[in-house]
Amino acid sequence: MASAADVRSILSIPSPAAGPSQQKKPTGTTRKPEGISRELYSLIGPSTPALAAQLVKPRLKQKPNLGGGGKVKWEWRKFKNDARSDTLELGHWVKAAENPNDEYKFAKYNALPAVYEWSQDEYAHHLKDSEWTKEETEYLFKIASDYDLRWYIIHDRYEFPNGPTRELEDLKDRYYSVCRKLIRNRTWAGDEASKNQLLQSFQYDKERETLRRKYVVNLSNRTPEQIQEEEALYIELKRLEQNERQFKRDRENLLRILAGVDSGLPDIVEDDATLIIVDPKKKKLKGIDLDLPQMRELTAPVIKRPPILNKNAAYDAQHCIIRNDPPPTTPATKVAHTPAYMRSFKLPYPKAAIAQRVNGLLAELGVSSSRLVMPTQANCQHLESVMDAATNLVELKRVLDKVNQDIDVLKNRLQIKDEGGDSASVADGMELDDRATTAEPEENGRSQSVLSARSTRSRKHARRSMSISSVDTSAPSSARAGTKRQKRM
Amino acid sequence: MVNYGGDEVSALVLDIGTSSLRAGYAGDDTPKAIIPTTYGYIPQYNDGDVSMNEAGVSGSLVRHYFGHSGPSLWRANMEVRNPITDGIISDFAPIPALVRHALEEVMRCSASEHPILVTEPSWNTPANRERMAEIMFEEFQVPAFYIANTSVLNTFAAGKGSALVIDIGQSVASVAPVVDGFVLRKGLQHSSLPALVQGNARNLLLSQQNPLRPPIDLYPYQLIASKQAVEANALPRYTMREDRLAGTTHSWRRWCEDREVEEWIQTVAGVLDQGWNDQAVQHRSAKQYEFPTGFNTWFGSERFGVGELFFSHPPQLHAGNPNVPKPLPNLITESLRACDPELRQVLLSNMVLTGGGSLFSGLADRLSTELSRTFPHCKIHAPGNPVERRYGGWLGGSILASLGTFHQLWISREEWQEHGKNIVGQRCK
Repeated sequence: MASAADVRSILSIPSPAAGPSQQKKPTGTTRKPEGISRELYSLIGPSTPALAAQLVKPRLKQKPNLGGGGKVKWEWRKFKNDARSDTLELGHWVKAAENPNDEYKFAKYNALPAVYEWSQDEYAHHLKDSEWTKEETEYLFKIASDYDLRWYIIHDRYEFPNGPTRELEDLKDRYYSVCRKLIRNRTWAGDEASKNQLLQSFQYDKERETLRRKYVVNLSNRTPEQIQEEEALYIELKRLEQNERQFKRDRENLLRILAGVDSGLPDIVEDDATLIIVDPKKKKLKGIDLDLPQMRELTAPVIKRPPILNKNAAYDAQHCIIRNDPPPTTPATKVAHTPAYMRSFKLPYPKAAIAQRVNGLLAELGVSSSRLVMPTQANCQHLESVMDAATNLVELKRVLDKVNQDIDVLKNRLQIKDEGGDSASVADGMELDDRATTAEPEENGRSQSVLSARSTRSRKHARRSMSISSVDTSAPSSARAGTKRQKRM
Repeated sequence: MVNYGGDEVSALVLDIGTSSLRAGYAGDDTPKAIIPTTYGYIPQYNDGDVSMNEAGVSGSLVRHYFGHSGPSLWRANMEVRNPITDGIISDFAPIPALVRHALEEVMRCSASEHPILVTEPSWNTPANRERMAEIMFEEFQVPAFYIANTSVLNTFAAGKGSALVIDIGQSVASVAPVVDGFVLRKGLQHSSLPALVQGNARNLLLSQQNPLRPPIDLYPYQLIASKQAVEANALPRYTMREDRLAGTTHSWRRWCEDREVEEWIQTVAGVLDQGWNDQAVQHRSAKQYEFPTGFNTWFGSERFGVGELFFSHPPQLHAGNPNVPKPLPNLITESLRACDPELRQVLLSNMVLTGGGSLFSGLADRLSTELSRTFPHCKIHAPGNPVERRYGGWLGGSILASLGTFHQLWISREEWQEHGKNIVGQRCK
C-alpha cells in the first residue's frame, strides 16, 4: 500500500518537515491519560482531555471489602457475666482488639422488675385484708417478681398451700391494691403529680375487669349456630336496607313519570337536571336552605291523607290543612298538571335587580327571606306582604334618588351658568335641607336607613355604615360630595 | 454480633425423644448427632465369646449397644429397650451411656468443656429433671447446665413467644399453650395417640380380613437371606436366615416389626384433607409398597383409614377400652378451654405444628380443616422443612443457648454444689 510519503511524492507535495500536528506528537509532553485504550487515544489524540474523564476504563464488579483487607485477630476468651451472681466463666470468640475488662454487653438486659416490699408494721397498719393472709400476700409478691408480672403465668403457677382458689382478677386486684396503699402511705420524695402518676399506673378496677372477662367468655362461647344466626341476621338486615332503598327509588321514579317532574315528594334528592328545568333561582334556595327532615314533617300528613274522605272544613282546620283547589278552567292534561309542592318553595322572591337591597332591608328587620322556620300559610302570607312592602319601598327610594340626583345636576348646571351668582344661598339651602332630614331619623332607626338615602351624601362616614341600603350608594355619593365641597370652597 | 443478640459459648444442646436422641452445638441449624434412643443389650454377656475389639466394657455382665449400629444390627440374644415411657425418661440407667455415646463417639467432644442445655417434655416431673442435672454435673462434669421445655423451645424455633404447640412425636402427641416463653400447665394435654395409630396400622398389615391379599409377614431384612421379585399380591418367595432365628429375641423382633410398620406409615399412609369421604378416597391413587420379604401390594383406601385415628375414633374403639387416647381436635379444644379466654385468640392464631409424627402425609391440611370448622380464625404454622419439623425442639434449644441474654440463666457448677437439687426448680421455671 502506498504510504503517506508516496502519495505526497506522486502529488508532488513537499514533504512536510514541520507539520504542526506531527511535530507535537514526539514531544511526549501529553501522556496518554488513564482509562483510555491506546487505540482510542491514537485516534482522538490529546486534544480531547474532557473525554478522558468520561471514558474511564470499565472495571469488573468491585470486590467486596472484607474487614478492610487486614486480618482481624479473634481469640477465644473467657468472660464473666455481671448479670450472674456466681463466678461462672464461659468462653466465646471476640476480636482480640476488644478490651478484656469490658462489661459483658448482654448483662445490661438483665432488667429486674421493681417489686414492693413492706415491713411488719406497714402490713399491720395498711395492708390487712380479710381475704388474704400475710403469708399468701408475700407468696403472691414473690411469684409476681419471679415471673416478671406476667399475670397469665402467675395465675397458672399460683399454688398457695391450703389457700382458696384465686381468679386472675383476685391476684391482680390484691397486688395492685397493696402497691397503691404502699405508695399512698409512704413518704413521697417527689412532687404530687409524679406520685399521682405512679398511683395511676397501679390503678385496677376489678369489677370492670371481671365484667369484661364475662363478655369475652360470652363472645367466645357462642355456638357455631349462634354465630351463623348472628351473621344471617346481619345479612338479612343489610338486604332489607337495600330493598328499602330500591323500593324508594322505584316509587320515586314512578311518581316522576306519573306526576311530572317536580313531584315534591319527601326523601328525594332531586338531581340537577330537574332543578334547572324548574327555576335556576330555586336551585340555590333548595340546595342551601331546605333540610329534609323538616320537609318530611310538613308534608307527611298531606301525603297520607286519603283524598276524598276528609273534605269537611272542621277536619281541615283541626289538621291545618288548606286546600288549593285548582282553577276549574285548567284542562286535565299532563301539561297543565300542577304537581305537589312545598309551600315554602313558592315564596315570593324579589326581582333580581333589587334583590340584594330587599334582602338587606329584610335582614335589617330581622326577617330571613329565604328561610321560614314554620312556613304555615299565615306566615307565608305575612312574609309575602313584608316582601311586597320592602320591594315597594326600595323601588320608591330608587325613584327618589334618581329625582334628587337630577335636581342636583340641574342645580349645579344652573350654578355654573350663573357664574358667580350667590352660591352661598344655595349652599345654605342645602345645609338646611340636610339638617331637617338628619333630625328626624333619630326616632326610628329602621326607617332612617331607607329614608335618609338622599341625605347620606352629606352625612358623616360613621353614620353611613349603619345601613346596607345606604352603603350601596355611598361610593358615588361621597365622590359627589367631595367635588361639591371643593367647589364650595 | 449484637444485632441478633447472639453470643455463642459453644454450648451443647441435647434433646432426648422417644425415637431419637439429638445432640449438637448451639447455634447450628441441625443436630450433629442423631441416634436412636432405643438401645440393645445382651443380658448374659460373656467376655470370652467375642473378639477383643468389641469388649469395651469389661467386667460387666450386661453389654449395651447404642447408636446406629446398636439395636438395628442383629446380635444373638440381644434385647432391645427404650428408656422413654410416655415421653419422659423412665429408666435413667442407660441414659449416661447413651448420652456419652452421642457426645463422645459421634460428636467427639467432651461434655466437661461445654455448657449443656437439655430438653424435657412439659409434663416432666421435678425428680426427673433433678436427676438429669445430677447426671450432667456428676457424671459428665459439665461447667453449666440448663433444662428447657420442648414446647417452649418449639415456640422459639418457630420464631414466636406465644403459641399453641401441637407436638406429635413417635409415641406421644401433646398440645401445650405457651405464653411469653412459659407453658401454661393447666392447658397442657398429651396422649399416646401416635402409638395408637401405629398399633392400628400394624393390625391392618397383619390382619387376615382383606380377601385381596394374604396377611403380611413383617420380617425385618436382617432375618432374610434371599428373596425373589414377585407380582403384586402374589405370595412372597424368600428364604429366612435360619441360623439367626434361634438367637432372635422377642423384643428385638417386635422393635424391627414396629420399624417396618413405621416405614410403611411414612411411605404409604395418609389422611384425607377434607375429612373421611368414601368417594374422595376412591379418587386418590393407590400406592405400591414392597416389604422386606419381597411381598408387594397396592394400598388404596385402607392407607387413608389409618390417619383418621388422629382426628376421630370409631365407636367400637371406645367400647373395648375406656382409656383410649384423645384425638387431636379434642386435645386442642380441651387445652384451649383450660386457658384464659383472652388468650384463646392469641393461641389460635399462633399454632405451631411440630414433631416427626406431624409429617404424616396430609395431617397439617386436615388439622387446619378440622380446626377452622370450630375456630374460624385459626392459623397453623407448620414448617415445610422436615428437619425443622422433626428437630424443632432441638432447634429451639440451639437458638436459646446461643443467645447472649441467656447466659445468665445457666446453672453453674458452683451453684449446683452450693444449692443442690433445688436450684433446678428455681432457675428452670
